Amino acid sequence: MKLREDDQMDPQVERELAAIDAARRGDAVEADLADLAELSGEIAELRPSPEESFAARMDRKVAAGFDTGEGRENAFGIASAWERFRSIPMTRRLMPVGAIALAAVVAVTTVVSLNSGGAGSTDSNPGAEGDTAAVAQSADAGGGKAASAPIPSTVESPESAAGPARLPKGASNASTSAIGGQTTTGPYASGEKRRYVERNAQLTLGTDPGKVGDVTDDVLGIVGRYDGIVLNSSVSDGPAGDAGAEFELLIPSARLGDALANLSGVAEVRSRAENTKDITAPTVTTGDRLREARAEVEGLLKQLAAADTDAERQSAEEQLSFQRQRVAGLRSALNSLKRRANLSRVSLEVVTGDASSFGSADGGRWTIEDALADAGRILATAAAVTLVGLAILAPFALLALLFWLGRRGWVAGSRRRVLEG
Amino acid sequence: MSQTLTAPAEAAPSDVDVAFEDLYRSSRDDVYGYVAGLLRDRHAAEDVTAAAFERAYRKRAKYDPRRGEPRAWLFGIARNAALDELRRRGRQAELTTEPADDTPAPEDLADLGIRRTIVATAFERLTTGERELISLKFFAGLSNAEIAQVIGASESNAGTKLHRTVTKLRKACDETA
Repeated sequence: MKLREDDQMDPQVERELAAIDAARRGDAVEADLADLAELSGEIAELRPSPEESFAARMDRKVAAGFDTGEGRENAFGIASAWERFRSIPMTRRLMPVGAIALAAVVAVTTVVSLNSGGAGSTDSNPGAEGDTAAVAQSADAGGGKAASAPIPSTVESPESAAGPARLPKGASNASTSAIGGQTTTGPYASGEKRRYVERNAQLTLGTDPGKVGDVTDDVLGIVGRYDGIVLNSSVSDGPAGDAGAEFELLIPSARLGDALANLSGVAEVRSRAENTKDITAPTVTTGDRLREARAEVEGLLKQLAAADTDAERQSAEEQLSFQRQRVAGLRSALNSLKRRANLSRVSLEVVTGDASSFGSADGGRWTIEDALADAGRILATAAAVTLVGLAILAPFALLALLFWLGRRGWVAGSRRRVLEG
Repeated sequence: MSQTLTAPAEAAPSDVDVAFEDLYRSSRDDVYGYVAGLLRDRHAAEDVTAAAFERAYRKRAKYDPRRGEPRAWLFGIARNAALDELRRRGRQAELTTEPADDTPAPEDLADLGIRRTIVATAFERLTTGERELISLKFFAGLSNAEIAQVIGASESNAGTKLHRTVTKLRKACDETA
């Protein structure tokens, strides 16, 4: 008899299977299949039946929802726990995983945001830019006036524009000094005994709108007391945030420290920044060139006095004119450099409004634009953190997937081999 | 014999529990018979049967009626548990339990009919896969369609395999007699 395993079953096979089913139901079968029916009954008689004790134990387990802790659950605790975990629907299984991942993203985002200055933080040193290095001190908003204790500043000078050829390393980095306009002295590679340092400072004071006038008077008084110069000033009235004043001052460098200490005492210091720039090299260079030019002028004057012909005299006069112009330019440049060293520029701003929001262009208010900007920053940080996390987790997830697929295939294969065995 | 987990997965737990208990009541002895026929070890069969029902209980909320009848679903779980037990023990199931608990010992042969002994012996000589088909059909009482679902084959294929196994068993019995 040919057996076929496709969807079309052999009629004889179908007939015999039907006879088996009929025999199992107790129905009569055709005579030629009586022995098959008899065999079916004999096989059925071999059916193992559970013992009463096992049946009773199972009944109790089912009634208790398999939480009795007896039997197999104790014997296979880990397997049972794994089964319980697997029995949870996938969505509920992923919820704690997602929650943990979300919490990790939030935590890392918070840490990153805090480390990067935080959302909504203000730049306490807006003026400290360019090629001069400066360290700004943002005053404690609640710190009150700082008259008796000026904010300490660490000042760091870069190498001058003339480059290290004229200033050795030790000199270029040795300018950590107290603010006060004191030029440091000492032997330098250029042979110069004096260093020329340009200083400037930015100071922001906070006060009430009604006290802007008083603060302005105090500032002007201090500038006069220290022989300073007011280059520009503007005072505006209005509510908190609008009222304020701005000054551009020149203070003798030798007295800058004292002047800043006094200015810091007239109102609450919101921020203070000081910058220095070593201009010794260009000053010395300009001085050298000036001396050379003057020597040239003296030489030309002698040459002019000794000229015998008109042509020699004309040539000497032309060169003399050129060198005199050169001397004038170099002298002007040298004076400018020395003035920059002798007079420090101070940008003083008097602001009103909340100190915590100081620095924003809208007078300190935290607007919807600020909120959107902060939200965008936070979202960008969160996206970056998530991206990095995915980049880290992706290989592990891929390995886990491959492992799971491999294990699943291996289990299926071994089950099949068990049956075939 | 057929039982249906009438409560869908989204139903209240009590409805699912009732459906499961009905399934258990109607299938406990059948599952045990199938597993014992496959393993030929009464104690292992008890453990595996209990484990299978426990797995089914844990997964009862995930049962999807579209993927088959509840009995087929239950026997699929029992099948995996039994095969895992065989895998775990390697071939010890066949080596250490010989003769199986349900196999008549020599001293009991006198009490059993000769014909039944012949059938039992022939059954013992079947492969694991063949014993599974006989167990599903004659010990668990599954229809050919249900057997097909359990072993993952078409109904005609499952019927053909079953017929082939019965024929082999029949031939072995005739030769022994």
